Amino acid sequence: MVDFIVNFIVSNPLFYTLVKILSIVLPLLGAVAYLTYAERKVMAAMHLRQGPMMVGPFGLLQPLADGLKLFSKETILPSKSNKVVFVVAPILTFILSLLAWAVIPFDEGMVLANINVGILYLFAISSLGVYGILMAGWASNSRYAFLGGLRSAAQMVSYEVSIGFVMVTVLLTTGSLNLSDIVLAERPFWMDMLLFPMFIIFIVSILAETNRTPFDLPEGESELCGGYNVEYSSMTFALFFLGEYANMILMSCLTVVLFMGGWLPPLGIEISWLSWVPGIIWFGFKVSTILFVFIWARATLPRYRYDQLMRLGWKVFLPFSLLWVVLVAGILVGTNTLPVL
Amino acid sequence: MIDLQTFNIIPVMPEIIMALMGMVLLIFAVSQGNKSYRIVSWYVVLTCITVGAILLRFPQGVSITFGGMFVTEPFAVFMKLLVLAGASLVLLMSITYMQREKIARFEYPILILFSTLGMMVMLSANDLISLYMGLELQSLPLYVLAAFNRDNLKSSEAGLKYFVLGALSSGLLLYGCSMVYGFAGTTNFIGLAEVFALEATPVAGVVVGLVFILVGLLFKISAVPFHMWSPDVYEGAPSSVTAFFAVVPKIAAIGLLIRVSMSAFGGIAEQWQQVLMLVAMGSMIVGSMAAIVQTNIKRLMAYSSIGHMGYALIGLTAASSAGVQGLLVYMMIYMFTTAGVFAIILLMVRKNMQVETIDDLAGLAQYKPLMALCMAVLMFSMAGIPPLAGFFGKLFVFQAAMAEGMYTLAIVGVLTSVIAAYYYLRIIKVMYFDSATEQLDNVEDSGSNFVMRASAFFAVVFITIAWPIVEAIHYAVDSLLFL
Amino acid sequence: MIEALAFYMFATILIMSALMVITARNPVYAVLFLILAFFNAAGLFILLGAEFIAMILVIVYVGAVAVLFLFVVMMLNIGQSNVKTGLVKYMPVGALVGFTLLGELIWLYTSWDISKYAVHQRLAPILAEDSEISNTHALGEILYTNNVYLFQLSGLILLVAMIGAIVLTLRSRKGVRKQTISEQVSRERSDVIEVKHVGFGKGVQ
Repeated sequence: MVDFIVNFIVSNPLFYTLVKILSIVLPLLGAVAYLTYAERKVMAAMHLRQGPMMVGPFGLLQPLADGLKLFSKETILPSKSNKVVFVVAPILTFILSLLAWAVIPFDEGMVLANINVGILYLFAISSLGVYGILMAGWASNSRYAFLGGLRSAAQMVSYEVSIGFVMVTVLLTTGSLNLSDIVLAERPFWMDMLLFPMFIIFIVSILAETNRTPFDLPEGESELCGGYNVEYSSMTFALFFLGEYANMILMSCLTVVLFMGGWLPPLGIEISWLSWVPGIIWFGFKVSTILFVFIWARATLPRYRYDQLMRLGWKVFLPFSLLWVVLVAGILVGTNTLPVL
Repeated sequence: MIDLQTFNIIPVMPEIIMALMGMVLLIFAVSQGNKSYRIVSWYVVLTCITVGAILLRFPQGVSITFGGMFVTEPFAVFMKLLVLAGASLVLLMSITYMQREKIARFEYPILILFSTLGMMVMLSANDLISLYMGLELQSLPLYVLAAFNRDNLKSSEAGLKYFVLGALSSGLLLYGCSMVYGFAGTTNFIGLAEVFALEATPVAGVVVGLVFILVGLLFKISAVPFHMWSPDVYEGAPSSVTAFFAVVPKIAAIGLLIRVSMSAFGGIAEQWQQVLMLVAMGSMIVGSMAAIVQTNIKRLMAYSSIGHMGYALIGLTAASSAGVQGLLVYMMIYMFTTAGVFAIILLMVRKNMQVETIDDLAGLAQYKPLMALCMAVLMFSMAGIPPLAGFFGKLFVFQAAMAEGMYTLAIVGVLTSVIAAYYYLRIIKVMYFDSATEQLDNVEDSGSNFVMRASAFFAVVFITIAWPIVEAIHYAVDSLLFL
Repeated sequence: MIEALAFYMFATILIMSALMVITARNPVYAVLFLILAFFNAAGLFILLGAEFIAMILVIVYVGAVAVLFLFVVMMLNIGQSNVKTGLVKYMPVGALVGFTLLGELIWLYTSWDISKYAVHQRLAPILAEDSEISNTHALGEILYTNNVYLFQLSGLILLVAMIGAIVLTLRSRKGVRKQTISEQVSRERSDVIEVKHVGFGKGVQ
């Protein structure tokens, strides 16, 4: 029976792909659910509280209970809203947050679509994310939501510029746009050190790109009472919520791929007792570290003011990353270590 | 590994130096603010002179580089020298003017530098693509310069009008390029010349494409019927910018027109000769007729330059070596005399306000004899009165037209010169025989004064230096036609 | 089979959404359809095997240009009526020019012919059909090596455009309070707080 199922799946390529997609999406949704749990627990620990602990042991079933609650509520469509766009916006956000996962390599060869321009694909999909928020803000026909949408658009466009330059710097050292090749590209240690400032910029930029604290101005619950998702409820809200957290994990994966060696064990492959652990575990471990930084930032940093956000993006990150691109390119050419195609 | 020696960059050195100087000056000026306006202006003049000196020492003969995109030969060098001289003259006379008008911002000389660079690229273009890039690099700063006095409604209008129409003409040019490419399979001028040498009768699409390319270029020299923008833009833009418009881009566009029509499309000369003939006639007629009723001297100069472009195009219409030589002589004289006239326009200040009507010159001879004399000499020269410089320009182009049997064109040229003489002489009459109601101020502007005197001097002594200049032009034209 | 289906799907949606761009009454819808059109055009590029161009199309046009476009359209809040007022007035002239051009185009393309000498002039493709080199690499070769002159020129044109935008719009307003972060950070307690001992009945001196 098992043989039959396996044979059927492998012999039918369309079905096989479907299974592969499901085997990415379902764990992802689980990860999103438990990311919210982790967020509440970690923040609680930092605040010297206990966090969720009533539903299940240590509150482990809390995310499921939350999900159930959201799904059982009524979906409210504001009467003055633009219905079609209003409903499309959260669906778009959610779909986009899942689409990008197609090119993430979890382990050697463990990737749904190993395309040549993987990193550009990721960049393209993540730059589309803004449309869901912008459309939601506009379609809600509400002041707060609209302000949130506009803020989000300006913010994401601004920080994409520096993200782009950071990616260019990394690509210069790897010589490939394929994510697996980027992971496997060998860099000398000093080059990693040279990329460290770009790593910092990247982390900060992805905080802005995913609208997380300290750059959560589009939501800004204390000033915009929720921003673009103020009019959303139940399922539609849940889709935004899932999308946002899936994007967080996605961006962490991207960071790991670009800067932290993906599925490879730390300190190089030579150390045998580290390479005994499967690559996907290392990958998950590294992603969790970055996610912890997300939560850590949320628990400790106050929100930026809008002009400060723009100043940081355009007047600090952009010139610096531009300079760094030129510097790294110059060093690569000067030392003749530019990767040859 | 990357081979940095893929292309020979020596022929492009002047352009590279210009571009680098532009960027260095920009950084310097941004760090210093608007107080660096004067020093940046002087540096731009210095750059133009240095690049000109480098060009003078350039090896003779033709060099082509960047995969056939870029060509330089004595013709390009000669035209670039004219462009650089024009840009330096205009900058010299505008330094103080911009400060008087309180629009002295350091971007002004830098934009002029980049525009000049664009013109040099145009003059060295050997491919439809590099032609277009040069054209855009030349025009974009001009759009900005036209609107430079941004708090002035007329200046903003001038900038917008120029921009919209300029973008349209660029679009037409590109459309024409695509048609020519579709027929000939190449955008390179040498390749085009080869194809059209063998294809005597191309399909209609190529003729339309050629006309579109000509339209794009004729727009830049404001020849009729693509002249509508020029009086408004001339009037609205700050006067020093108008001087730049009137003097420099026309030389570059004419140079490009010569190269495109004589070398790339030389094989199908009959096709464009008819077009240029109509354009030349139209420009001469509109330029002379419409100028008569103008009272604003900047508008008058706009129509005057339309007329001059008509005379210049006669030389190109002849499609002969002598015609192109006459055209180059004409453009050279046009450049120096127009610069002088605009220097005088910049000096027309009354009660610290710039004035622009012809009546403001009334009685100038009584209290400023030198300025009036210079203006009179320049006006006589523009009208084509011998033995001043302007006469020789007209003489050469008319001769070339007669030699090719284009009598109609020559006759229209002579008739319109007579009509045009009316409004040139009217200015002289106003200066010498009308009485002054209010006098113009004495302006401390050594740059404009210098350009005014030098230009008038040039118009007078041209007859003595004509021979070596014509020899040089002959040499330059030969280098182009026997590529 | 799947490719053909995908082509017709992308092409149909592209044309339909392009039509919607110019007919939609609501400008925000028009921009959203424009984005859809870009997206489908990118899909067509992928079918052609030009994956790099497809991605750049999405990143640049959809991810940056159209966002700003949508941003502005939403901010302007253009009413639906005033878009149409000019239409009736300029319709006859526009139609005349349009039809003349269309007629000329039809005439030109029906009589079109490629010169028999054009073949010698055509550029040889830099890559063989079965080449292993990805199209990103090939594009880089063309852009940055073969056409480096044009590439640098376009850089200069963009620089001039930037200078122009700044010259024409940047105004230094007076009375704007700016945050100088270095000053804030370098501020110390001794700069702003002073402990004074106030004697009884004397007040602060």
